[in-house]
Amino acid sequence: MNQAPVSPTATPATLPPRLAAMRSRIRAGEHRPLRVTDSIDLLGECEAEQLSWPLRVARLTRRMCEAQTVVIDHDERIAFTRTVKRVPEIYPPGTLKALLAGRTLHELGPISNLCADWGMVLGLGLSARRAVALASRRRLAADPAAVEFLDAAIETIDAVLALARRYAEAARQAGRADLAELLERVPAEPAASFHQALQSLRLCHAVLWLGGHYHCGLGRLDQYLWPYLEADLEAGRIDPAGAEELLAEFFISLNKDSDLYPGIQQGDNGQSLMLGGLRRDGGDGVNPLTTLVLRAAWAVALIDPKINLRVDRHTSLDLLALAVQLTRLGLGFPQWCNDEVVIPGLAAAGYALEDARDYTVAACWEFTIPGRGMEVVNIGAVSMPAAADRAIRAGLAAGEPFERILDRVAADLHDQVQVLATASRTLLLPPAPYYSVLMDGCLERGGDLSQGLVYNNFGIHGAASANAADALAAVKTLVYDQGRVAPARLLAALAGDFAGDEPLRLELRTEPPKVGNHDDGADALLVKLFDAFADACAAAGGNGRGGRFRAGSGSAMYYVWLASGHEGMREPAVGATADGRRRGEFFSSSLAPSPSTTVRGPLSVLQSFGKLDYRRICNGGPLTMELADSLFQGADAVAKVALFIRAFVKSGCQQLQLNTLNVDTLRDAQRHPDRHRNLVVRVWGWSGYFCELDATYQNQIIGRHVYGK
Amino acid sequence: MPDAMTGIVFDIRELTIHDGPGLRTTVFLKGCPLRCAWCHNPEGMTPAPQLLHSPVGDRWAGRRYTAPELAAILNRQAPLLTDGGVSFSGGEPLMQAAFLAAVLDRLEGLHVVLGTSGWAPEADFRRVAGRSDLVLFDLKLMDPEAHEAWTGVDNGPIQANLAVLASLGKPFIIRVPLVPGVTDTEPNLRAIARRVRALPEPPPVELLPYNLAAGGKYAACGLEWRPDYDEQARNQVNLQPFHELQLEVRVL
Repeated sequence: MNQAPVSPTATPATLPPRLAAMRSRIRAGEHRPLRVTDSIDLLGECEAEQLSWPLRVARLTRRMCEAQTVVIDHDERIAFTRTVKRVPEIYPPGTLKALLAGRTLHELGPISNLCADWGMVLGLGLSARRAVALASRRRLAADPAAVEFLDAAIETIDAVLALARRYAEAARQAGRADLAELLERVPAEPAASFHQALQSLRLCHAVLWLGGHYHCGLGRLDQYLWPYLEADLEAGRIDPAGAEELLAEFFISLNKDSDLYPGIQQGDNGQSLMLGGLRRDGGDGVNPLTTLVLRAAWAVALIDPKINLRVDRHTSLDLLALAVQLTRLGLGFPQWCNDEVVIPGLAAAGYALEDARDYTVAACWEFTIPGRGMEVVNIGAVSMPAAADRAIRAGLAAGEPFERILDRVAADLHDQVQVLATASRTLLLPPAPYYSVLMDGCLERGGDLSQGLVYNNFGIHGAASANAADALAAVKTLVYDQGRVAPARLLAALAGDFAGDEPLRLELRTEPPKVGNHDDGADALLVKLFDAFADACAAAGGNGRGGRFRAGSGSAMYYVWLASGHEGMREPAVGATADGRRRGEFFSSSLAPSPSTTVRGPLSVLQSFGKLDYRRICNGGPLTMELADSLFQGADAVAKVALFIRAFVKSGCQQLQLNTLNVDTLRDAQRHPDRHRNLVVRVWGWSGYFCELDATYQNQIIGRHVYGK
Repeated sequence: MPDAMTGIVFDIRELTIHDGPGLRTTVFLKGCPLRCAWCHNPEGMTPAPQLLHSPVGDRWAGRRYTAPELAAILNRQAPLLTDGGVSFSGGEPLMQAAFLAAVLDRLEGLHVVLGTSGWAPEADFRRVAGRSDLVLFDLKLMDPEAHEAWTGVDNGPIQANLAVLASLGKPFIIRVPLVPGVTDTEPNLRAIARRVRALPEPPPVELLPYNLAAGGKYAACGLEWRPDYDEQARNQVNLQPFHELQLEVRVL
């Protein structure tokens, strides 16, 4: 067993003065004037040379690397600062449209929301990856597509190596022999120390973003970096405090360029990493680095990287308590993943057990396998409130029994999944030669990442499930079981957005069972919704890429879009619903009780959502709770929340996001943003600075139910 | 015990922090014989359900449960409470001792904490404390006249039940709410420390600093919050009297 190098909670983690100053400079944006280049012109040469798509993407990576101005900050020990703001186009808009010819791109286009095999990249180095590409090129010389792909991949490798060389030379000239030595070695060669591994990772990861990729996950950081640290510790090259400082600097560096990353909102960048959990061989993956990462994140206290922690019933309370310190800071992470639920779920979905044990989150919450998953984890979402609402209105109008309404819900979900599945079959993934270098098998077989990997599933989310279950429960209870509400009255009220029948709206809102109270009257309907949704995904068959459709429980922005309508949604906005919700009011986010429900408490919420069969909804999507910050004021509070995490494991829930917030603080932040610039909230799969969010989202966060009083 | 026996509960809260060890759900039983000037749960004073009026609407405080109903709610949570248990607070839970005992008899493997003022008939006290795993026993004021003046009741029964509790062999903790200028005075804390020291096996002591939100719920109960002490006065969190007598003491 490894000895923990530091006691997890012995002392609050703090930044040394050098890093405290660096953090302040970055938060103040002092590095932003270094961004001298707005955007480079690439289109001209791509057109003049009539480059193929793969070669255009490779050229993009190369030119972006070349256009970077080298920045060596005087006290930095991990280098790279992006200086080119925008990723340029590689096709004129008209040409791209013709190229797609009936196919569609996912979101912005470039491959996103994945996790590279960082352990492989750091362990081999890019020169070795280049040698693999050259060997494949010789072997596949007769295959022009393979040769073109491999040439493109080699061009990107050379671009990264040239960038590293320029950094090394500038470091020499600046009298920074230490940095120069690092960059003369990595990322070309295998990292030979913890410090080298972090530098290599920083550069290789940053170049992904330069090439237009986004939501680039960092994967199981404590697993793939531990061998380097372990060797350094044994050789006496570093001590735990030194390692913590390097990690903290690495984390600060991840916040430098994140304002340039694409996302719905600032902060929605998916720079996530995973800690702990089982190893591929089934052993416990928690190691001393797990602790150090948590401590470094505690000291840095910024929104990147977003920390995820895998837990099971054996996870020590010390480790949980340390992680809860991050929750207490109000960073919105760690996000907790229950190995006891996730691994069997992935195994049931066809993942090899070793791979299932190796899962991480792609970016927000969806599960993927580093280096082995070319999955599109959020191809779309079904609107559960729309399914329930259409079924209720049609069923009541036709005078049908309640069971028939449930049949209608299942058929509606089936239809919604079919529409998404059909649309997704036209999906076109653009070539990604550099990302291919970082994945398992692409260079070896001479085929681009966009052609697929071991796992090629698509994820569909079931959004706003609690509102849908509550609406069904209200109809079942008040109309069918008790006969208190006539169908015609409910139909009229729904059609008129409850105008003129406020008493009915209040009755619907307060009387029937609600999801979140461990009441089967509502929870059983939630279970039926997800069963029907999982059936629909299973019935959708293959996705045309060697994968299937995974059902999930996240909602991303859908909880707003489904309520108010959005061009990004196929489903129309839902009007007033039978749970007593007026038109336009938000739905629940991911897995959570409806925003208007007053629940008994967080344990009942765990028990409600613990009833779902997560083996059938393995795409991911967290149970989301806000804990009042007053909960953290007691002497034992951190230990109690650690026990709550253990209760989460026992409840059989899959994934948990805990926010800490104080409604008064949020209201004050709306009035006086200057006083709360660093106030962090987690909105869906990400944390963001509250003051930087649109007022709509600010109000939604404030309006969400606050657990504890 | 007949299943028809009912009790009135004004709140059930999960993940409570100050009501015993580990992960806990706390049941607040309605009704209290004391009228402590600093009471921060005024909706727990009267035994009957009451309608609270607040700017965001009206709400009933107090719901009637049968013992099997309440026990079933708690038992359903037992799988998640193995690192803690359930706590009973109030109000004064011993005001509904028969009901509470009936609930406790129906709990399945849950660790039980009783939080009490200690003011109850001895038989009731024995009946419930004997079915609990840990008792949080309040000592507010040692001087009988001051106790009567600030809480409305004589502290004789409390002192007698403390002696009973010490003889039961149950783990217990003494809790002292620190009210500025009322209970946090040096003479009172010294007297409490001496009393605890004199017990056969002195239990730990927990001090609860004053909560400035104490008056928050009075308006909703139709009551006026007008404490006869200076809330803003400095709260004396004085551990010295306990340390001097080698008592285990901590601040919550």
